[in-house]
Order: sequence, then structure tokens, then C-alpha cells
Amino acid sequence: MEGLILAIDTATDIASAAAGSPREVRSVVAAKGARRHAAQIITLVDRALAAAGARARDLAALVVADGPGSFTGLRIGWAAAKGLAHERGIGISAVPSLMAAALGAAELIGSPVAACFDALRGQIYGAVYGFQPDKVDCLVAPALLTVAELVRIAPVRPRVAVGDGALAHAEEVGRWTGAPPVGLDALRPLAASLLLLAARAGAARELPDPLAAEPVYGRPAEAQVKWEARHGRPLPDPSRPIG
Amino acid sequence: MAEVVLGIETSCDETSAAVLVGEPGRPELASLVILSQDVHKVFGGVVPELASRAHLAALPAVVDRALAEAGVGWGAVEAVAVTQGPGLVGALLVGVVYAKALAYARDRDLIGVHHMEGHLFAPAVEDSELAPPLVALLVSGGHTLLLDVPAWGRYRLLGQTRDDAAGEAFDKIAMLLGLGYPGGPAIERLARQGDPARFTFPRPMRDDGFDFSFSGLKTAVLHVARASEDLERDRPHLARAFQDAVLDVLVAKLERAVRLTGYRTAVLGGGVACNRTLAALAAARLTGLARVVVASPRLNADNAAMIARAGWFRLGRGERSDWTLDARADLPLPGLEPAAPQVPVPPSPPAP
Repeated sequence: MEGLILAIDTATDIASAAAGSPREVRSVVAAKGARRHAAQIITLVDRALAAAGARARDLAALVVADGPGSFTGLRIGWAAAKGLAHERGIGISAVPSLMAAALGAAELIGSPVAACFDALRGQIYGAVYGFQPDKVDCLVAPALLTVAELVRIAPVRPRVAVGDGALAHAEEVGRWTGAPPVGLDALRPLAASLLLLAARAGAARELPDPLAAEPVYGRPAEAQVKWEARHGRPLPDPSRPIG
Repeated sequence: MAEVVLGIETSCDETSAAVLVGEPGRPELASLVILSQDVHKVFGGVVPELASRAHLAALPAVVDRALAEAGVGWGAVEAVAVTQGPGLVGALLVGVVYAKALAYARDRDLIGVHHMEGHLFAPAVEDSELAPPLVALLVSGGHTLLLDVPAWGRYRLLGQTRDDAAGEAFDKIAMLLGLGYPGGPAIERLARQGDPARFTFPRPMRDDGFDFSFSGLKTAVLHVARASEDLERDRPHLARAFQDAVLDVLVAKLERAVRLTGYRTAVLGGGVACNRTLAALAAARLTGLARVVVASPRLNADNAAMIARAGWFRLGRGERSDWTLDARADLPLPGLEPAAPQVPVPPSPPAP
């Protein structure tokens, strides 16, 4: 990727935007409070671009946090990315929010890292990553599971676990990793990690049609789950084609 | 003042974009694209999470198509008008954030629009001569509003629903009669085959103030339907009697509002205004009193042309939203003034 890249993350309680390149984070700004993400996201983008001495017209590409994460939060980041990309005619790539959190923890403590976001009802969105300068090894792909299940399927023992899911199950993950879990508050805002991961092999999801793409939500809508269980078949396609 | 405004609407289960082009006081509709989300039909109502997901997937393509049909490139778009509320907050957020990004990307003007103000402006998309003072009856799946409009942007609330919106009542009765979602068009179709004398339902609050209540009527229909020995036979008659009752109440209050204000124009707007029987009944009852103005059906459904038109008005007054614009499910109508003291008006005569 050449030129200025803007990274946007609204998948967690901390929204952030960063500008720069995969080699250099020129600016990163963040704001806490999921309920304010929609109101703040463009201001964050503007501040990140201004701090990098740039404007929207200078953008060459976008990277946005993929799920899992808050459904609404993901859509806010993706709607902002789509609006900017659509207008400027530039591409979008998507990097899992769990991977961005894991990179932040790896920079503090070391690799590999288990990233765990709280999925409520005793479950987490969990993944395990190993980081190298030019590539990311996905040791456990993002999945909805329990900490015990993650421990069982992980091929390595991570150096640390990160995220609110790790904090919610601190004792269990502490026994596994041998280190106290790290919260997202302790990390550099995730948008900076998205930027650094954008060009690393194994990190970004290809979006052949970014404007029509959807985030990886991590799980289907509750109504869809119930309908499919009741009818024993997939829910019909959500939208009627235009025209 | 912008001469090309892009409108975006995502408040419920229609993903819509439209382009208005023209001189400051005379916008012309250059394009309107509405994508209906069929997924909700199997649920018998709108599932908010699915609606939000579908908006995010479809919105850029809908906007592309609106721009292409208008023959307008990005460079020509001077302002973006987007539905800020009320509506499903998750669905609104997709449109609001996307619209903000479009506006920010090229320093365009941005204006958040109240969905019901959009419905009020819908007939003005087709009729540039339409002007207040007027009385507006705005009836949709989420709202039933009777407004005194002395001027664009100035609204006095005469009445609103105390429970179900009129469109909601149509949807619920359609579900009861096994007609699916959305219920309005299905009830109107079935009612054409119904005998108006077979059943009669109460007209709640018909002669009592300007507020509405449709919950009791819904229950009355439910009781009769449950007591029916042959529901299949009775369905058209129930649909007819229900529709007659709702429309009688709506039009009776509209007529009294026209008599109270003395205005010579009455606007019907919102999804329920697609009901041709309502428009015909209003026109008949208001003959000699006021001209009844109803937009064409695609402008009465949830659509972005009406949002662009209301946005055009607000932009023309110098109003702008900033980058902190946020979706609000309970957004109050801008320009709402305290209701004028109501002079007692004699009840409307019985329906002919």
C-alpha cells in the first residue's frame, strides 16, 4: 500500500482513528464511550488527519476493524469507512479487532497473544495470534466460545491474554497464560494497530467489493438464529436486488 | 444554497437515496431509488438488527444508482441531507454516519432531517407551488400526527396518537387476518371485497379533541375475529369494517382541523397516505373546504426524496449540522410550537 492510510476502529468501547502507513503511525486519536461513537467518529477522523498534516482528499486507502465486536459499533466504523471510500474512490481492507488488540499486547509483553472480547452469557470472542515483522500467524481464528474451549484448542500457550473478555475471566486466563490479563485501556488505541497490520501477510481480509461488504459480526442476529432453528433452513436473502 | 442535494433515508426497512437539482426555491427530483428489505416479511414485522445490517450492505449501491439516474457525479453534490430520526436507532446510525463521511470527504454541507418533516414535504417534491398555511395529517407505521402548519418550519401540534399509530394498527390487523407484512396495502385490497354493513366497529375518539387512539379498535376487531364461525368468509368484511373505522376517524379529525384553522389546503402524508380510499374519502369530505394534497405512493412510502426536500428547505434557511450529528430514535420535530388554544368545533357530520 502506498500513500496515506486511515485506520478506523469502533468495535470496542474505545473508538479510534489513526493516519499514516504500515511502517509509521503518524497520528492516532481515541475517545471512550460506545454510545458516543457515532457522534464522534468523523471528528476523530478529522483530528487524526489534521495531526498527520493531511485532509480527506489525500487518502489512498482505508483499513477498518472487522468483527467480532459490538454489532452497532462495527457498523459505525464501517459506515464511516464506506462513506469516505465511496466518495474518494479508494479501497478498504478489514483487519479483525481481536488481532489489533493482540498486536497491542504483543508490543507490551510479547507474542503469541490470546485476544478475548466479552460475548456475554459466559462466552467470549477469542483468537490466538503470533506476530512476526512481516506476517501474522493466526493460531486460533476468531470464534465464539468459552475460555475453556479456547484453552483446549490453542496449539500454544500465549504470553498474555488481552481484552474485556480476558478481564471478565481473569483467574481462568491467568492460570493459562501465567500472566495477569491486559485491558484495552492499557494499549495504544486499536486504530494504530490496524494501520501497522494493514500490509502484514495474514492480517487483512480481502474485500473484492468493499462498498457492499459487511463486517464479520461474529454471530448472526438473534432473530435469524431463532427463525432458522424453527424452520430448519437458512433465512432468505435479506434484500431484494435493486431494479 | 446548494443546487444539488443528495438525500439518504435509512430509518426503518427501506434503504433509499435521491437527488434533487434546481434553483434555490425550485428543486426538481432528479432521481429516487428505494430498496425494500424483503427479509422482514417472514417475521411479520421489522427486525431492527437485520434492517441495520441490510442498510450497511446496500446503501452505497443505492446512492450510486441515484447519482447515475440523476446524471450527477460526486463533484456536483453540494450537500447531503439524511434522516436523523425518529426511527430504529441502529438503522438510522448507518445512514447518518455514512452521510457524514460523504459530506466530510469533500467539505459538503450536511443537514440532519426529521423523518416526519420529510413526510410533510413529500408532496412539495412534485408540487413546487404547495405552500402553507395548511393542515397536515401524517400517518405512518410509527406516527399519527395532525399538524397546523402556518409556515414551512413552523408547526403546531393539534393531535397525535395516544397508543398505536394508524399504520401500526393496519399491520397488526393484517397479521390477525393472516395477510402478512406490511399490512396497509393488503387490507385495502381485501376491503374492496368486503360488505360495509356486515360489521361495524367503534370510531375511537372520533368527536373528542384531535388526539387518536387505535388500540381499542384493534381489540374490537380481535374479539369479532375470534368469535367468527368462518373467518375465511369474514376476512374481507372485517378488513372493510376496520378500514372504514380508521379512515372515518382520521378524516373526521382532519376535517375539523381544517374548519378550526380555516386553511384551504390539507396535506395527507406518510405510508398510510398510500391508501387510495383514505385520499378519496378526504377529498370527498373536504370538498368546498380545502384542497387535499397527496403525494404519489413512492413519495409517501419511506423515501429519500422527501428527506432531500425537507433538507433543501432547512439548508435554504442557512441551517447546517456539524460532524457530531447523531441518530436519535426520539428526535423531536423541529419548529414545534405550543398548540394554539382550540376553539370548540362542532362534530363532523356522519360519513355519507
